Amino acid sequence: MSKPELWVIAERRLDHIEPTTQQLITKARDLAGNSFKTVVILLEATADHLEDELTPYGPDEIRVVRDDRFPTATDAEHADALQQLVETYHPNGILFGATITGRSIAPRLQAKLQTGLTADALGLRYDGETLIAVKPSYGDNIMCEITIPERRPQMVTVRPNTFVAEEAAGTAEVTTTTVTFHPVDRLQVTAATPVVNTATTVGDASRVVALGRGAASAAMVNHATQLAEKLGGRIGVSRPLTDQDRFTHDDQIGQSGNTIHPELIINFGISGAVQFLVGMQDAKTIVAVNSDPDAPIFDVADYGYVGDAQTFMTALLAQFN
Amino acid sequence: MPSTTAAAEKLLLQMVDDYTEREISPQDMPMDKAGDFPAGFIQKLTNTGFLGIMLPQEFGGAGFGPEVTADVLNHIARGNASTAVTLEGHFKTIDQILKYGTPALQKALLPSATDRIFAFSMTEASGGSNPMGIGSTATREGDHWVITGDKIMITNGGLAQVYCVLVKTAPKELSVFVVDQDMPGFSFGKREDFLGLKGTPVGEIVMDHIIVDDDHLLGKVGDGGIIGDSAHDDARILMGAVLTGIMEHDLKIATDYAKERKAGDTPLTDLQVTHRKVADIAMRKETTKLLYQKAAQLKAAGQPYSEEAAMAKAHGSRAAVSAGDDTLQILAGYGYSREYPVEHLIRDARAMEIAEGTVEKMRSAIAKAEFNK
Amino acid sequence: MKIVVCIKQVPETNNVKIDPVTHNLDRRGLAGVMNPFDKNAVELALNLKDTTGAEVALLTMGPDDYAESVREGMAMGADSGYLLSDRAFAGADTLATGYVIAQALKKIGDADLILFGRQAVDADTGQVGPIVAEFLNQPQITYAASLRMSGPNEVTAERLLEDTKQTLVAQLPAVVSVRSELNTPRYPTPRNIQLSFEKPLTVWHHDDLDLDDTRLGQSGSPTVVTKVYAPEPVKRELTPLTGTPSEAASQLIKALKEHQLI
Repeated sequence: MSKPELWVIAERRLDHIEPTTQQLITKARDLAGNSFKTVVILLEATADHLEDELTPYGPDEIRVVRDDRFPTATDAEHADALQQLVETYHPNGILFGATITGRSIAPRLQAKLQTGLTADALGLRYDGETLIAVKPSYGDNIMCEITIPERRPQMVTVRPNTFVAEEAAGTAEVTTTTVTFHPVDRLQVTAATPVVNTATTVGDASRVVALGRGAASAAMVNHATQLAEKLGGRIGVSRPLTDQDRFTHDDQIGQSGNTIHPELIINFGISGAVQFLVGMQDAKTIVAVNSDPDAPIFDVADYGYVGDAQTFMTALLAQFN
Repeated sequence: MPSTTAAAEKLLLQMVDDYTEREISPQDMPMDKAGDFPAGFIQKLTNTGFLGIMLPQEFGGAGFGPEVTADVLNHIARGNASTAVTLEGHFKTIDQILKYGTPALQKALLPSATDRIFAFSMTEASGGSNPMGIGSTATREGDHWVITGDKIMITNGGLAQVYCVLVKTAPKELSVFVVDQDMPGFSFGKREDFLGLKGTPVGEIVMDHIIVDDDHLLGKVGDGGIIGDSAHDDARILMGAVLTGIMEHDLKIATDYAKERKAGDTPLTDLQVTHRKVADIAMRKETTKLLYQKAAQLKAAGQPYSEEAAMAKAHGSRAAVSAGDDTLQILAGYGYSREYPVEHLIRDARAMEIAEGTVEKMRSAIAKAEFNK
Repeated sequence: MKIVVCIKQVPETNNVKIDPVTHNLDRRGLAGVMNPFDKNAVELALNLKDTTGAEVALLTMGPDDYAESVREGMAMGADSGYLLSDRAFAGADTLATGYVIAQALKKIGDADLILFGRQAVDADTGQVGPIVAEFLNQPQITYAASLRMSGPNEVTAERLLEDTKQTLVAQLPAVVSVRSELNTPRYPTPRNIQLSFEKPLTVWHHDDLDLDDTRLGQSGSPTVVTKVYAPEPVKRELTPLTGTPSEAASQLIKALKEHQLI
């Protein structure tokens, strides 16, 4: 008897694969062990070869469906195509990236399939054939373990950058299959343009360059702006900098400002008062640059540089391209 | 299900807390530094309907009662006392027009109280709030009155557009008239530079032969003393509420700080000296709250509340100065720093040992009320 | 035009704690408030009401005290409210919730635009909007960053994906969920708070709707919460960046690349 399938739904970002897909393949391989078959579902245009970006990560199979309407298909059209595949192959589990796209398509598919969907998971494990997803709630203050005991497939969206993508040995079998594309005329994607930075506030930025009292000069602010642009993020500040005309309370990180959960925060010239730390200590990766080796910011940082903030910033910007 | 009134009051305080957190608190420090409300601040407060909270619905207001109105000022003062005091000056003035204005005056004037600030002025250069020192006069000429004089230290003076003014209609006869900044003969004088409550303007108006009709007289000729006392009573309840809010702000700063800091290896929260200060602040806050809420309850029930209102202000103002002092001491150098709000909370509170009758006058009033029992 | 905004009442989240004995969420003393993200959807609806004269109704499912959030929305300016309240609805996950909401929307009828906030701040799923769109067989625009009427029966919206801005044009009726950066919600004025108590709030129970009982509440929910716990504080180990500023910077860039952060 063939092994039950664990699916990863590949997501595209313009002409490339969204990195969460690769992260999910690595995790799916880990989850599958010898009990499940890892299958990546890829919906792409006839001339696309996005599977080339997936094979190095070693899924058992990449199942490709080609139609020139996929790159601009709407959520409902995607969900319809996926439903047809699910009804043909009956996977045990389906993993989506908890990106905007994944979080839009997955619940529509869930409703079609009348099954369960756990959102924005931070952890996954199998107990027999039951997938256990760890889901944060209340702004990551609470963790819940969620299962879908009776219905299949078990659907999960997984937070980007939760798992690390690792290339793996083994040759993925690339197969093609077909679905009937049912166009929905009432909704059209009329334009799609790349943007470097979709964050509009420090609160919703996934990458933050934070400035404190030790990095308050006009030159430093100017450089930090450039760095934030390159990272696709925003500048945040500690309280003393809100006195500058160009920053407001909205830019402030900390107890009396924003509590943020970015994937990356690079702190320049911030010593790390408790009031500041509580606003950013849930960041996934914390980098600290400060001239004082005893600054409390280093106690919570993943990477630290002891030295002049301006010099380090200049060196970082110079190498960024 | 809770009553409609309770549900509406809950929603109101929820909105006030939200507005205070997002719109008022962030301006607390800048306001103290700049010595004024920021540009557009009062307009936004007005657009959001704050000026009409206690104004009856028939005049376009929300018609909330005295208890929740005082609670609103308490909650606002947790973020910033100046904003609350400006509303206090407005509300106490509306209260007197509601109590003593003719129906015609109310109908003509009060609908504008949702977007114009009202003020009540008593003090003159010739001496404090001492009624007999008043030099402003209203003289009868034909079927109208002619008002002349100079009023100073008016809460919201310069910001308000409508003023109740205490004037002499005879050598020993005080009366209250309502004048509008648009009337010929009305002009503004100088703004005071006060120690605290830096957002709230306190200023002067000059009246040079302003002509008004009988409808602009509050109550009867000679009722000035009664109306002045009534305005004080209403203001003092609201000041008790503002002072409670200041102490809640102190308490939050003091406890947040104590929970984070250590003296040597000992957390501040483990030190008895901190316990004593924090407990004292909490007790001062709570007693003031009980006093203003009791006075507001009596007012809502139509019972006398003058003595309780005086207690709320007399007790609350000293309590808030002491609470600020204790908070400053817990924060030590940070407390004394002008980068932190504690020192201005003391200055803000200190104003209320003077405004709306000094604490000494409060004690005389309380003592007299006790002698008369 | 008729707009229905679907809202949720949530606890004020800063205080949520786990009961150390029962491991259940301790919601004692937590005030219920309208989900902050839903206020952006309400504001969008009120904006369209101001400009096109649309009628705005609010819809929520939950216990009787959820009426408070509906009242708040009416105090902001919505014209009417619907509360779906029944013991049979309790314990519903997103699928069972979406089902009841969709059935209620069918009963309300002729909604041109159905709006949702991006997600609720308690469960953080953002799933109910797309589920409702699917059950009603309507097109959806999720995470809209802007929306305008571009024709008598058409809306044009922008949607921000991680690195792409999409423009979408939908014929109504449609379901839209909005990003919180779309607008700044208005405050309910004190007077409108009072007047909201004169607006109609309709409560529908189980028997008021056409429902398949197997799809309701806990038994109609495919997902099961098996464990609730407080997250472990993240243990971090400091990796020093060493050498000249230039060397240290290249170490950082290498590390960020490994984590796919750049």
